[in-house]
Amino acid sequence: MTTKLIRPMAAIVIAASLAMAPQAMAADAAAMQKLLQEVQALKKSYETRTADLEKKLKQLKASQTKKSAKATARSGSGRDIKDNSFNPSIGVILNGRAASFSRGTSEIPGFGVGEEGERGSEGLSLGESELNFSANVDDKFYGSLTAAIVREDGEDKIELEEAYIQTLPGAALPDGARAKAGRAFWTFGYLNEHHSHSDDFADRPLTNRVYLNGSFNDDGAEFSYVLPTDIYAEIGGGVFRGDDFPGGGSVSGLGSWSAFARTGGDIGDNQSWRLGVYTLRSDANSRQSNEETVTFVGESNLYATDVRYTMAPTGNARDQELIFQAELMYRDDDGTYNDTNAGTGTLSYDESSFGWYAQATYKFAPAWRVGARYARLHAADTPAGFADSALDSQGHDPETYSLMGDWTNSEFGRFRLQYNRENLDNGKADNQFIFQYIMSIGAHGAHAY
Amino acid sequence: MKKSLGVVLAVAWGMTLSSPAAADLRVFACEPEWAALARDVGGEKIKAFSATHKMQDPHHIRARPSLIAQIRRADLVFCSGADLEVGWLPLLMQRGARSGVQPTTTGYLMAADHVPVLEKPTVLDRSLGDLHPGGNPHVHLDPRNLAILANELSRRLIQIDPPNTDYYRKRLEVFQREWQSAMDSWQSRVTKLAGLPVIVHHKSYTYLINWIGLKEVTTLEVKPGIPPTASHLSGLLQTARSEKVKAILRTPYDPADASRWLSSKTGVVALTLPYTVDKNAPPGALANLFDRTITLLEQVHAGP
Repeated sequence: MTTKLIRPMAAIVIAASLAMAPQAMAADAAAMQKLLQEVQALKKSYETRTADLEKKLKQLKASQTKKSAKATARSGSGRDIKDNSFNPSIGVILNGRAASFSRGTSEIPGFGVGEEGERGSEGLSLGESELNFSANVDDKFYGSLTAAIVREDGEDKIELEEAYIQTLPGAALPDGARAKAGRAFWTFGYLNEHHSHSDDFADRPLTNRVYLNGSFNDDGAEFSYVLPTDIYAEIGGGVFRGDDFPGGGSVSGLGSWSAFARTGGDIGDNQSWRLGVYTLRSDANSRQSNEETVTFVGESNLYATDVRYTMAPTGNARDQELIFQAELMYRDDDGTYNDTNAGTGTLSYDESSFGWYAQATYKFAPAWRVGARYARLHAADTPAGFADSALDSQGHDPETYSLMGDWTNSEFGRFRLQYNRENLDNGKADNQFIFQYIMSIGAHGAHAY
Repeated sequence: MKKSLGVVLAVAWGMTLSSPAAADLRVFACEPEWAALARDVGGEKIKAFSATHKMQDPHHIRARPSLIAQIRRADLVFCSGADLEVGWLPLLMQRGARSGVQPTTTGYLMAADHVPVLEKPTVLDRSLGDLHPGGNPHVHLDPRNLAILANELSRRLIQIDPPNTDYYRKRLEVFQREWQSAMDSWQSRVTKLAGLPVIVHHKSYTYLINWIGLKEVTTLEVKPGIPPTASHLSGLLQTARSEKVKAILRTPYDPADASRWLSSKTGVVALTLPYTVDKNAPPGALANLFDRTITLLEQVHAGP
């Protein structure tokens, strides 16, 4: 069609140019020569263009035939990454483990530990299998849902880890501002925001197990703002229902709130760091722990600080990288505790404790990493009346030593072997070996720093 | 009373946020070559920042805090596109939450959207390696692409910063004149190099090879993004001999071991081409990049 039109057009243009030629001849023979050359050039250029167009048309026709042939062939054939541009995009994390523990039980006396804070199950098991759906809702919002399928008490249960909406840049909020609402791994220290599949160790450190019951993902909303400064600086805060540990049994439906500030930057070309301070304050109406034998009622205020430092010798974190990371958490519980197992009755309690961990991982070859971690909790004093209850640490400060090595075949698949030595209870060391795999299929978003 | 004060404060806050902070237009370049082109075309009216340096593989970059801060204040984001930065740029865009540089805005310039892209895959599967659905993103190593992008960049700068329209126009004119004459001289030099058989580590030099007309025999990588294996390399021994390969090319950030091994076994020169410029390179660095690259290839062509 296009070719048919262009040919006569080219002919007309050339004819018109030729018709004008005699007038030019009268003026100057040299000018005539020049004009002829121009006409020649014009003719040539149109011929080339026509030929080009014809060629393109042919290619287009051929590719269309090919495409339709391929479309028929593809149904039923192998996986196609383009399928990830489904709306919403779908991602799956497959996670399995084998664990061996030297002790039959594992308790952390003195703290009141929730279910997710306990060590994992022994032997062969699936870890958390995650299913994620996410997409931009429209020009202003992004939505994401992550469900974990976990085995608890012999049953497969679906845990809704995250279900949130988030503003997109330019969605009426000022530059640098973001709002997120729903259920999410909220900003509190380094690890809490991250899904456990991206952790560097097979289990969370004592601080996150004890003070956040694994992770804080209450229902709520969070706002954050990146300051327009040369150095990275971000502030934010949130309000939450107050049902999730360290809150619990929310009556008002608005039992917890948080605030945070973060900064970070580079040192030279190949080193980066980030530093943050956080607080999470909860009004717990009924916080259950120790398999629902211990109940806390009152104010539970958490404070944390975290630091992360990364160094890639050549700038390429994929080849070699050293990561250092540490978090410190401080908890102040002011209210009442009741340990039904020990029959303490409801007694007033106003004590504080703190814990920290520090870890280093080193990638010495693109597929290989080793890491070490030390975590320690400093138990609170045991008030009179709580002697020999779950809140009595017997003067022991729990600690764990961990070593891990992992092998990453591609960014979508990893195997890890970890050794833990846990001294959680006085004089009762637990030697643990954990072997796990973590694989991802489908869409998988980039990981934050 | 209290309410109206709140409104006034909110409006004042909004105004401080929307007012232009500095005279300089901030360009956030994902790779050094785009920062360099921005300095060539934008001159003293812009301040270009490169997120990566020449020893870094732009496929794999951490979305680190400093980059969030940079994108937070950027007026123009200038990257290769074609999914080269897919692992980190979207995250930065989301975290930096800068409205003027989001996709579809004037402040979002992806090179691969404006030049003819090579090697668009017809079939995609992770088992075929790390393929870019948008085609080969290393577009800057064809000088003709840089000429196209200089025009586009200048157009964007004028749209973002209209008061300096005349400055940008003149600057572009000077750049294009110099670039054209440089290209003419490179063209006369590279005609001799046409057909030179080479092996590449990764498909980083496709546009250079296509422009000069070198013959890319094969890659050291088994598949794009999948590192060379011993069996794949030993298979290349025969290929290198039968195809009379003259050089094994790699970028400064590709691991050297594979090309060194093949070089030691076959006697073919293992050559590191510059690939890109320094992250803080002064104007004119891109022209030097092509000069240097062609000189290195000429030396290979001339033989030992």
